[in-house]
Amino acid sequence: MRKQTLFVLLVLVAMLLAACGPAATPEVVEVTKIVEKEKEVVVTPTPAPVKLVVLTHWGEESVLNPMQARFDEYMKLHPNVTIEYQTVTFDQLLAKIITGRAAGISPDVYHFYNLWMPEFVKGGMLAVPPEEVIADIRANYGAGSIQAVTYSGQIWGYPTEVNTYQLIYNKKILEEAGYYNPPETWDELKEMACEISEVDASGTVTRAGFLVIPGWDSGVVHPFLSLLWSNGGEYLDAEGTKALFDGPEGLETLQLYMDMLENKCTDPAISWGDFPNSKGGMVIMANWWRATLKDTFQDGYENVGVAPIPVGPSGKSTATLQYNWLFGVDNGSKYRDEAWKLVEWLNTPAKAGEASPIGDFLTSALGAIPSRLSDQKALADRYDAFMQAFVDSAAVARPEPVVPGGQEVKTTLQTEIESAWYGQKSPEQALADAAEEANRILEERR
Amino acid sequence: MSDKLTVPEWTLPSVRSRRRLLHPRTLWAYLFASPAILALLLFTVGPILFTFWVSVHNWNLIQPIPEMPFVGLENYRYLLTKDAVFQRALRNTFVFAVCGVGANTVLGLLGTLLLNTRLRARVFWRTLFFLPIVTAPLALGMMWTSLLSKNYGLVNTLLGLVGVARQPFLSSPKQALACIIGIAVYQYVGYYVIIYLAGLQGIPQEYYDAAAVDGASSWQSFRHVTLPLLRPVLLFIVVTNTIGALQVFDIVYAATTGGADTSGGGPAGSTMVVVLHMYNTAFKFFRMGRATAMSVILFAIIFVITIIQLRLLRERT
Repeated sequence: MRKQTLFVLLVLVAMLLAACGPAATPEVVEVTKIVEKEKEVVVTPTPAPVKLVVLTHWGEESVLNPMQARFDEYMKLHPNVTIEYQTVTFDQLLAKIITGRAAGISPDVYHFYNLWMPEFVKGGMLAVPPEEVIADIRANYGAGSIQAVTYSGQIWGYPTEVNTYQLIYNKKILEEAGYYNPPETWDELKEMACEISEVDASGTVTRAGFLVIPGWDSGVVHPFLSLLWSNGGEYLDAEGTKALFDGPEGLETLQLYMDMLENKCTDPAISWGDFPNSKGGMVIMANWWRATLKDTFQDGYENVGVAPIPVGPSGKSTATLQYNWLFGVDNGSKYRDEAWKLVEWLNTPAKAGEASPIGDFLTSALGAIPSRLSDQKALADRYDAFMQAFVDSAAVARPEPVVPGGQEVKTTLQTEIESAWYGQKSPEQALADAAEEANRILEERR
Repeated sequence: MSDKLTVPEWTLPSVRSRRRLLHPRTLWAYLFASPAILALLLFTVGPILFTFWVSVHNWNLIQPIPEMPFVGLENYRYLLTKDAVFQRALRNTFVFAVCGVGANTVLGLLGTLLLNTRLRARVFWRTLFFLPIVTAPLALGMMWTSLLSKNYGLVNTLLGLVGVARQPFLSSPKQALACIIGIAVYQYVGYYVIIYLAGLQGIPQEYYDAAAVDGASSWQSFRHVTLPLLRPVLLFIVVTNTIGALQVFDIVYAATTGGADTSGGGPAGSTMVVVLHMYNTAFKFFRMGRATAMSVILFAIIFVITIIQLRLLRERT
């Protein structure tokens, strides 16, 4: 009886262990195929099967299928490679990458925002690109794009989309108020914004001359920095170790918003999404918004104008912020070499004078500016006036500083700017508090 | 005298229990219970211990776990003395919990008393009360965001009809938290109505009859019969609702981020709550150590409050 019990117990334990263990994987067998060549029999080895997982935030149907088509093409050219294409929304991308990494189920290739790079590098997450990839990037990309994918003196991946900020305005609204050219200075910006604003009998702003984008760190901070740089100010010092946005130029920048708020020329309660409904006259936004504007404005899209960021009283010329995305390969990928080959193929033109697959995708499907200089040249005829203005702005664009803790500093600045907008703090206090916290974060992360 | 008799009497139960433990039937029982015990250790006890361990480290979620630098109580010190967002989030969470639990408890009871009368289409009304609880919080958050919009919202349109000026609601730091509390009460009050109803229907009719014979008014019946007998239900509602309210996340996230890439808790941090700050700290700022320290602090707060509530309400019950 005892032996029987023991036997049953052993069987159960063995079954439990078998169920919990890893699934049996067939050994990779070297397959050969025989090809007849001029009556000679040549034996060529067939490459072992490779499965690559690629993760991006291009999940909307309008961009999902065009990107999948590029992967299908690659799989056709490389029959041994299978690509599993995963997408999540932008707000979930970072969480997906880092939780996947912690769980040991990282994709082989990521498409990510360059501000996350310091933490990815610190965690040993990114694979160093092969020499030929680095040489290709150095030879074929602009200095801004190379800087944007470099951290600690190392290039970490292929730069893909570039986004800059410009003043987007509704030509029709401005013309109705007698303005046939967009504002070039802050005084003109304030004047036009206040002129085209509408306020109802109860004092509620029903049309904002200038739209702000509260609640979203990039929506608040990127336009703020574009204005700050156009006013001769600085965000961080050259080493990225100290906040400088609380200087006089920074105060003037925040005061610009405060003046427009106090005079009811803007209202945070009116969403930037209301721009196509003519509830806003001007807004500082990035080029990726083009697809949405085309869809929502439809026939009225020709009324959408783009102009350089107006210059502030302490500034000499217009400037804008540029941020980049890049394709990188996971350091722990089983198929690192194959992953780099895929990324290289995506970013390399098949023939001279043609666009790379990713350049073509970015321009036609996403409405973004490709980073590769040859792509910008090859696709120039596809840019409309809207896109061309953003492409031209690259000449005065400054990359968003890529520093450890950059995301946290950005969110801190957003919260403090909003606290001034909503009257919780004076502009001086808000910027001083933001700078103090930013310095602490930068010091801690150094 | 045999050897058996020399064994001290006090040892007998332990010998008996050891024998019982080694009995094949007991072993079988343990074998069958072992998957559940194993799951409990792996998925509940393990993560709790891991959370405590991570909270005394500096971990960005990417570094290998053995390489996490040990920082002692630094994460706790920072949160309690320097992190202004955490302190604000704590205040907002308490306000949310006190107002939300208060409103759910009172409105739930009032709704129950109404639904317990001979109301026409009683089942319909009960279903209507319960509907929000089965709706996804994200959908509810988005629905209320558009209903409360300053320029297009239905609520403002209705207010306009009675001559009230447009209100900014979720886009005002002064009104946003109150709106979030309102949305949460709308979502959960139906659930508490159902719990109250179950308790109310468990009170024997004879007690009311006896009170009526003694000449008690409706209010006196409610005050001296219904309320004392509902105290166990009240205890359950207050304790579970408080625990849930202190852990609020979904409705704030849904109503203040709109599903976009925002940190939520706005405008200007006026609706930031502890769990949302925890989420941002871990998954946006790569500070898992600090985020887990927040969860330990929150756990301690919930634990203490629950003990106090249980003591206070149990004594009266």
